[in-house]
Amino acid sequence: MRPLQQSEQSVTSVLIWDLPLRLFHWAMVLVVCVAAVTGYLFEDWWLDVHVWAGYALTALLLFRLIWGFVGSYYSRFNSFPLSIGGVRTHLFDLLRGRSDPKEGHTPVGAWMIVLLLTTLIGLVVSGFVVWGGQENNGPLASVISYGVGKGVEDVHEIFANILMGLIGVHLAGVLVETVIFKHDLIRAMLTGEKQVVPSGKSTAGLKHSVIGIVLFTVIAFGLTYWINSASRANEVAALDQIYKQACGECHMAYHPSLRTQSAWDQLMQGLEDHYGEDASLSDEVAQTVRTYLKDNNALNFDTEAAHKIGRINTPSLRITDTRFWQKKHDDFKDADFRHPAVGSKINCIACHKDAETGRFDDASIKLPKGIKYD
Amino acid sequence: MIKPFIVALGLGTVAFAGPVQADTILPEYEAQARAADPSFSGFSAERGQAFYLKDHATGKAETPSCTTCHMGNPTQAGRTRAGKTIAPMALSQTPDRFQDVKKVEKWFRRNCKSVLGRECSPQEKGDFITFMKTQ
Ligand code: HEC
Ligand code: HEC
Ligand code: HEC
Repeated sequence: MRPLQQSEQSVTSVLIWDLPLRLFHWAMVLVVCVAAVTGYLFEDWWLDVHVWAGYALTALLLFRLIWGFVGSYYSRFNSFPLSIGGVRTHLFDLLRGRSDPKEGHTPVGAWMIVLLLTTLIGLVVSGFVVWGGQENNGPLASVISYGVGKGVEDVHEIFANILMGLIGVHLAGVLVETVIFKHDLIRAMLTGEKQVVPSGKSTAGLKHSVIGIVLFTVIAFGLTYWINSASRANEVAALDQIYKQACGECHMAYHPSLRTQSAWDQLMQGLEDHYGEDASLSDEVAQTVRTYLKDNNALNFDTEAAHKIGRINTPSLRITDTRFWQKKHDDFKDADFRHPAVGSKINCIACHKDAETGRFDDASIKLPKGIKYD
Repeated sequence: MIKPFIVALGLGTVAFAGPVQADTILPEYEAQARAADPSFSGFSAERGQAFYLKDHATGKAETPSCTTCHMGNPTQAGRTRAGKTIAPMALSQTPDRFQDVKKVEKWFRRNCKSVLGRECSPQEKGDFITFMKTQ
């Protein structure tokens, strides 16, 4: 086709992708798969796995952004052929069935990486906001309100859908290059080597392997430290001991954020006929409990349970009569609640290990053996 | 060397003294029972058992009997209507039962109102505890 004899003779194996970049790439593949499967397919209570994937993704992205400035030549962003002219030529070439082997990225390939990285950043940032706001968890829990977290959930999903689309295009591109143009890109991303006419630009070598691994380790530790120290600030205070004693004898002591002040007042007035039992307290204890419930009622908490259950009054004063509660538990049969390890639907702690904290994190749901939920 | 021994001895005595304390609450009920009925002639485990197992059904519909929550066999753990486990009432199984007068009185007040629709008499309380001591 083309007179290329001269250069074809000097085609050799050149190390293009440094080791840290390749590790980054395949780690990313794995982590995005985990995040996508747990995010799209699994029940909410796989959320902790999803979030761990998100944390890993954050570390990888931070690494990639820095590596774009300090990595070997073809890892650096300033080596990306992003000019519009280059893209146009490349696209025309592709349409005419031509694609020359390139040492680094092709123009379209480079843009693909820019889009992928941008989308991933959006995904991770929105993920932190939802995790902090709606689930009141993670490092941003004390900064992001429930409402903001809830609103950003949609944004997070949009980013996720865009990412899926981009990954589709990325894979299609690699397939076309591999099958039609016989450029073995996958092998190159494994070994780091391409068969090209050396231009002398690539600087990848042992030095970069060492720097890259050290850099990633530092990032991973730094991020873990930040997540741990910022998340700790956000524990919900433990239940008052007198309250826990007084109201935790027949059933678990419900977190005060699960009812409004007026509901608690009404409930405290009717303790002598409390759902078919006498639950009366001595005046002194009753007064302490009333004050505690008032000071910690639903309006004082920013959790999902406080918003969707706590702030909603029901004529029966029951938590379990709120619409949100019923909707979330309507897949259970009565027999599930009579399971020996549960006993009653008001025994929240049988399934929600964090029920006493009022958090009701999806990740803390552990169903007793034998109860199915689908 | 001798110190841990004394401590152990002390702890042993306390632990041993534990169950016996149930006896301090009974004389009180006995005095009350005698004051209410001069012909009172002591508590009876049999009466306590019958009272415990009886289907009273004079209180709230949800709780006809003591055994709604405690077990017919009091050496077994019971369960509240909300699914929480109640340690056995029998003193042999739960040695720290019936020690804290306030606690005992609180539960008699509540449970008797729920089951019988009224307070229990000192005699009923004493019979109940006497029965549980034999279990
Ligand atoms: C003597 C036993 C007893 C005590 C003590 C007690 N409760 Fe209850 N509570 C019950 C029972 C029984 C139910 C209803 C159970 C059912 O229907 O499954 C109930 C139900 C409730 C519910 C409604 C649960 C639902 O369905 O959403 C709330 C709220 C509640 N209790 C709060 C309290 C508070 C606050 C205290 C302390 C002042 C307290 N309880 C003390 C026995 C008790
Ligand atoms: C038999 C087990 C079981 C019991 C008992 C139970 N739950 Fe749940 N609950 C679940 C499951 C499973 C889910 C998840 C439903 C879903 O995601 O679709 C859930 C979801 C929830 C949620 C929503 C969590 C979220 O972030 O989506 C809240 C809040 C909640 N439960 C509160 C309660 C309270 C309050 C009680 C007690 C009055 C209770 N649950 C009793 C199993 C249980
Ligand atoms: C609705 C459930 C329920 C019923 C019915 C019930 N109890 Fe109880 N009872 C409890 C609970 C819960 C406790 C406290 C659990 C604990 O201390 O481990 C308790 C504790 C007690 C105690 C205090 C024990 C102690 O350690 O000092 C006494 C006494 C008692 N019950 C007597 C009775 C008698 C007598 C009846 C029948 C007239 C009865 N109960 C019926 C639920 C019930």
